[in-house]
Amino acid sequence: MGGGEKPQLIINGKRLDGRASDELRPLKIEVGAVKNAVGSAYIEWGNNKILAAVYGPKEALPKHVQDPEKAIIKCRYQMSPFSSLEDHGRTGPNRRSTEISKVTKEVFQNVMLLEQFPGAEMDLYIDVLQADGGTRAAGITAAAVAFAASGIPMTDIPFAVSVGKVGDELILDMNKIEDNYSDADMPVAISPRTGDILLLQMDGNMTKEEVRRGLEMIKKAGETISKVQREALRAPYEKTLDKYKK
Amino acid sequence: MQRIVVPGEKLTSTPVRIENTISDKNGTYTCIMGYFDEDRKSLIPLEGLWQPRSGDNVIGVIEEDKGTMYLINLKAPYKGLALAKFVDAELSAGDVVSATVKQLEKGGTVMLLKPTRLNGGKIMAVSPSRTPRIIGKGNSMLKQITEGTGTTIVIGLNGIIWLRGGKIDLATTAILKIVEEAHTTGLTERIKVLLSGNKV
Amino acid sequence: MQIRTVTGDYIRDLLASGAREDGRDMLDYRRITIKKGAVPNAEGSADVNFGNTRVLVGVKLGVGEPMPDKPNEGNLITSAELLPLASESFEAGPPSPEAIELGRVIDRGIRSSGMIDTKALFIEEGKVWDLFIDVYILNYDGNLFDAGTLAASTALSTARMPKLEGEEVIREGNLGKLKVNNIVTSCTFAKIAENIVLDPDGNEEAFMDARVTMANDEKVIRAMQKGLSGSFAPKELENLLDITFDKSKELRKHIESAKE
Repeated sequence: MGGGEKPQLIINGKRLDGRASDELRPLKIEVGAVKNAVGSAYIEWGNNKILAAVYGPKEALPKHVQDPEKAIIKCRYQMSPFSSLEDHGRTGPNRRSTEISKVTKEVFQNVMLLEQFPGAEMDLYIDVLQADGGTRAAGITAAAVAFAASGIPMTDIPFAVSVGKVGDELILDMNKIEDNYSDADMPVAISPRTGDILLLQMDGNMTKEEVRRGLEMIKKAGETISKVQREALRAPYEKTLDKYKK
Repeated sequence: MQRIVVPGEKLTSTPVRIENTISDKNGTYTCIMGYFDEDRKSLIPLEGLWQPRSGDNVIGVIEEDKGTMYLINLKAPYKGLALAKFVDAELSAGDVVSATVKQLEKGGTVMLLKPTRLNGGKIMAVSPSRTPRIIGKGNSMLKQITEGTGTTIVIGLNGIIWLRGGKIDLATTAILKIVEEAHTTGLTERIKVLLSGNKV
Repeated sequence: MQIRTVTGDYIRDLLASGAREDGRDMLDYRRITIKKGAVPNAEGSADVNFGNTRVLVGVKLGVGEPMPDKPNEGNLITSAELLPLASESFEAGPPSPEAIELGRVIDRGIRSSGMIDTKALFIEEGKVWDLFIDVYILNYDGNLFDAGTLAASTALSTARMPKLEGEEVIREGNLGKLKVNNIVTSCTFAKIAENIVLDPDGNEEAFMDARVTMANDEKVIRAMQKGLSGSFAPKELENLLDITFDKSKELRKHIESAKE
């Protein structure tokens, strides 16, 4: 975890930004932020600002990547070089972003009905414009909305969030500074319909009991996150419906 | 009762066969955004992709002339293919054509019949889920736009629309309005007002 | 492959009849909106829309080393990224020649206008400020040059200046502003057959024969770039220079009235 002098992350039961241990940061999702995309979503989660866009399905290229049985998903997660409060970042893929792209892709390989489009590809782009901890979870949460808005059939809208650990306390949805100095970080993506876990990563130290409790916190937070996702998808339709209500 | 549903949302607590849904022992769930009618158990897609059926009229752009056949971009997960021996006029890359689906082949190729060049004009791409509304019951909506604008309009079920002549801007505006408001009632009347020049 | 919604003939016929697809006059900009400070983590930022074209510029400062030939000057590093998210025709991978040209043209306007005094970015021998300007394309519908330059000028003119305490760069708190001496904007024209239009959209750019970008401040032209295989007559260019000076007033007003 982070170096340097460790700040006290929890004071009198409150976190540095005033949250309770099981409290999410403010969350806002907007559909259709990227006009050219087939489906897109913009998410603001705490200080994270992220765009997700879906293109396709279209013929998979180059030809050798095609799967005659089903569609493939290509995913590219990237952080902007100006996304952090620290130094200018490097552009282009690195080991971290390549891994996140891979595990994100695997989340959507689970829920997208890929067999309907043999030989095709779907492209998912997640661009982190501003980062403040938990960008992979926020990216997956936004991407799920972008996919749903694209009209490509899917079995569910997954959500993602992480649980961290500070001393003996589990905390939900860590921001950057918490992430830097925590004792553990466990990002998880879940399909709310089935409760199945589609992404699971962890580093640091956690007991079996802490993992169990952490997953419960995530499941509970999912109710809120799913609600925001669904409302974002319905919003444009409800707006026009309201407009013509007598 | 009608309601807007999103992927993963439960439609019924018993397994029912509806297009674009999945079922398990607990019920039936939608896989797309749609408008679900509880009583009629019907799911109208709000967002959705075109699923080729034989006889569908489509519009595409010639991507490549392969000599014996033409590759046609349908802006879809499927590649259009037409055999050159059944084509009357010579076609070249970039030409906009209308065609009829013969069938969807294994591997995602759509065999097309009678590709006919659409000369001039422009095309617009809309979500294929909107084409039924743009056409309207018994062509009524399309007829209304054509008569109100003098524009020649051909609609491809793959979501590509070709327009030429007349008040093409007004026709485009009308179509975009239908795209945005497809799920509302009273749309025919509002389009009528729009075409007659009154602000809606 | 992306489907074009118009053919070249359609665009050319339309222009010949004196009209554009979206109803604009030949020398009109599309609706321009600017949101400054869109990405507060960056020292300066601006989110700019020209119709459906959307460009985000982030400005960062960091401590670096001077170039050997300019030991007393900071570094200005401008790059543009055509994110694959922004268009089906943009591909992932190393920057395309188009992205490099875009970054360099935006850089030239800023650099030659003296907008940033690179000598003021000197810290001590062997240590200077690196000023990074990243032009991030979020949706493509033509004319990235003008949207990029406008976003960069806005982001720079609202940027905060970090300070150095020992080895540590302080980027938050009570900071002054980055000193900006000038404002540069650019006007880009497309020539399609015999017609010339300002602020070409995506469909117009697909069929333009030549393109020219002119960047200026209130007094003089600061950078130019002609692109593509078509050509301009000298008389045409002279006329476009007049138009550029005229139109740049409009663009500078947009920067002045930009909101958070």
